[in-house]
Amino acid sequence: MTDRIVATGIGVISSIGAGAEDFANALYAGRCGVTLSTLPSLQKDSPVPAAEVQNFSPEPWLGNKGIRVLDRSARLLCVAAQMALTAAGLSQQIPSGGNSKLGLICGTMFGSVHSITSFDWSGLTDGPKYVNPMDFPNTVINSPAGQAAIRFKLRGVNSTISSGLSSGLYAVHYASEFLRLGRASALLAGGVEELCQESFLGFRKSGITSPQGKARPFSPDRDGMVLGEGSALWVLETEAVAKARGATPAVEVCGFGAAHDAHSISSYQVRAEGATSAIEQALRASQIGPESVGLIVASASGSRAGDKMEARALHNVFGSRVADIPVCAPKAAFGEALGASGALLAVTAGIALCKRLAPPTAGFTSAEDGLRLSIVPQPIEAEYALVNCFGCDGNNAALILRRWNG
Amino acid sequence: MHRVVISGLGLLTPIGSGKEAFWNALVAGTSGIAPVSAFDTSSFPVHLGAEVKEFQPDRYLHRSAPNEPGRASQLAIAAARVAIEDSGIRLEDVQRDRVGVSMGTTSGEPLFVEQYNDIRKAAGLEAIPGEIMPKYPCNVIPSNVAIEFELRGPCLMIPTACAAGNYAIGYGFDLIRTGRADLMLAGGADAFSRITYMGFARLGAIAPERCQPFDKNRKGMVPGEGAAMLILEPLETALARGAHIYAEVLGYGLSCDSHHMTAAHPEGDGAIRAMATALEESGLTINDVDYISAHGTGTPTNDRVESIAVRRLFGTRADKVPISSIKSMIGHTMGAASAIEAVACALALDTGMIPPTINYEEPDPECDLDYVANQARRTNPRVVLNNAYAFGGNNASLCVARWEG
Repeated sequence: MTDRIVATGIGVISSIGAGAEDFANALYAGRCGVTLSTLPSLQKDSPVPAAEVQNFSPEPWLGNKGIRVLDRSARLLCVAAQMALTAAGLSQQIPSGGNSKLGLICGTMFGSVHSITSFDWSGLTDGPKYVNPMDFPNTVINSPAGQAAIRFKLRGVNSTISSGLSSGLYAVHYASEFLRLGRASALLAGGVEELCQESFLGFRKSGITSPQGKARPFSPDRDGMVLGEGSALWVLETEAVAKARGATPAVEVCGFGAAHDAHSISSYQVRAEGATSAIEQALRASQIGPESVGLIVASASGSRAGDKMEARALHNVFGSRVADIPVCAPKAAFGEALGASGALLAVTAGIALCKRLAPPTAGFTSAEDGLRLSIVPQPIEAEYALVNCFGCDGNNAALILRRWNG
Repeated sequence: MHRVVISGLGLLTPIGSGKEAFWNALVAGTSGIAPVSAFDTSSFPVHLGAEVKEFQPDRYLHRSAPNEPGRASQLAIAAARVAIEDSGIRLEDVQRDRVGVSMGTTSGEPLFVEQYNDIRKAAGLEAIPGEIMPKYPCNVIPSNVAIEFELRGPCLMIPTACAAGNYAIGYGFDLIRTGRADLMLAGGADAFSRITYMGFARLGAIAPERCQPFDKNRKGMVPGEGAAMLILEPLETALARGAHIYAEVLGYGLSCDSHHMTAAHPEGDGAIRAMATALEESGLTINDVDYISAHGTGTPTNDRVESIAVRRLFGTRADKVPISSIKSMIGHTMGAASAIEAVACALALDTGMIPPTINYEEPDPECDLDYVANQARRTNPRVVLNNAYAFGGNNASLCVARWEG
């Protein structure tokens, strides 16, 4: 159980860029991915602001074959998987019969809700006898992971993980545990979420989204989140497996913490007990103290209550030293991508550790609560980064990453 | 590594709720399949379902408003309450941040999608209340359980469709084994949904009259609903508090067919690897297995492939390993199925009886195993495998053993 887990390849697609390089360039340029949505299902009345993967076409990565049966989530996930396998040097090593030691752990929150709703709508309006049976497989929540497994011949462990906004982060941890237990030689791990009318409508009507379409994490004038989408996956392996095949680790996945507030399904717990506990557990599991953390990649999305809770948790754990650690809140750039957020945040932290540079927070105005929000790229002074994921369903998760130094 | 035992059982099923009603009905070969009551099936070619009857959420939901969470959450909370009571654990005495929830589901809270579409059809998109869809995502089910019982440990949904219950129990086992939690509520829940029903009906997979797994004339599965939760804890704490130990969880195996979204691999490739991995993790071989709780949905393909997989892995030993499908009685309860079947395995180990496959009349040459036809049997099993297979090619086998003190 003491094996070190390393990431040896990144796949990422989001509103600010596709591919690790594009994504990193956009992050450091402080680019914001929020635009007026072009998705037909979001344009019933007037275009709405969202952090959408604009003009998304999977063909450049996946070719033309077999795309039609994939829904948007499955397409996003398959694109990220293709990138990650290639980056890790694994795509050429999958034999035609598949690889039973290679698997996928996918975090998602709403899953295939658009496919499910459309399928039900068809039955409701056309009658049950006229629904397209080809659409049924896409209605299960694990369909993106199943589709990716078929496409990339991933015959090993295949799990879908849902813990709300922390799904993508939890998937990384779950995969790390499976690797330590020897259940796979390599796992793709991360998350996916698509923008769609069904999830969007609920959040907008509940007043959780920013009316102006501006995500301003930790800013005193923040007025809600902006929904985003995308997929991020790492190829994770044990250090020994990575070394044996000559792969170059980018970052080490260290300790994880999870705690539920057991308070409400739809509001943050102001005392931040669960969030504080999650961070403390992650530090303990990594056998480090708060002083070893040189970067905080925040869960903050612009939510009034959520960001306040997170700031409180950071104060609880880091005390006055919190003002010395750069805090990056990249949901200002790629929006609240729900089940994919944790993976996008983790990948952001991984890139930052490699560059030893904290990315700026897009669209920053000012930060409250004594946090040192990263405005311009700034050096990271320690080798560990903390990634937070706190959701209003009470699920809190935190993960520690370490810069790989061999 | 801790040894992990099952020390509490709670479930709501189409044949009865709570371990006693369930088990008595199961060994008696009772069918819970009946005409669907949740919605009008007149526009469907089939009409049978396996629903949980006379469910009263207010009997089980104390801290949460009984009708606020969706039906899957209600069923999950009810199963959790029954399991906690059965275990004899006083939650006041446990450290709540060391207690977690690990669950599986196929559809999450699909009734909110149905509500969304019903309102959209009747009154347009703008008439849909904002609070509906935020209650849909499947992670709300374990969160609702955590909220009801104030459990502050890890809380996770593993929505791997019809194999999800086994995934969730397996993950709960991992958390206890590695010392990350002191107590886990692990299981699965699914609510009867027209979406699932419509999908299976359109695939021609629903049996018109009865569910008869492994029979030559089997005509399909019967969609159902239910929930089961198991209390998992380290052997030491169960012994220390004098708990009744139903069984010990030894290990599990997961695999992916990577073949087709809805059809199993024709040679049972993934199913074989899941069973083999479960045995390997448990430190056992095929010769140790005394009973298999089949996935056994009743569809022609599923049952044939599962039989082939068992035959290929077990060889001639398969002739000595009874295998039965309780889906013949409770229908296919989706994400709850393998959790309910895990309860059946625990009770089989605890009581020595193995439940039958009912409606079994004519042997199928392609299904050449001992399916415990129609009558429960006393075999005093020591080691059992619980099989579960799902859309997406997800396979999970759980290995559970009798606790012999």
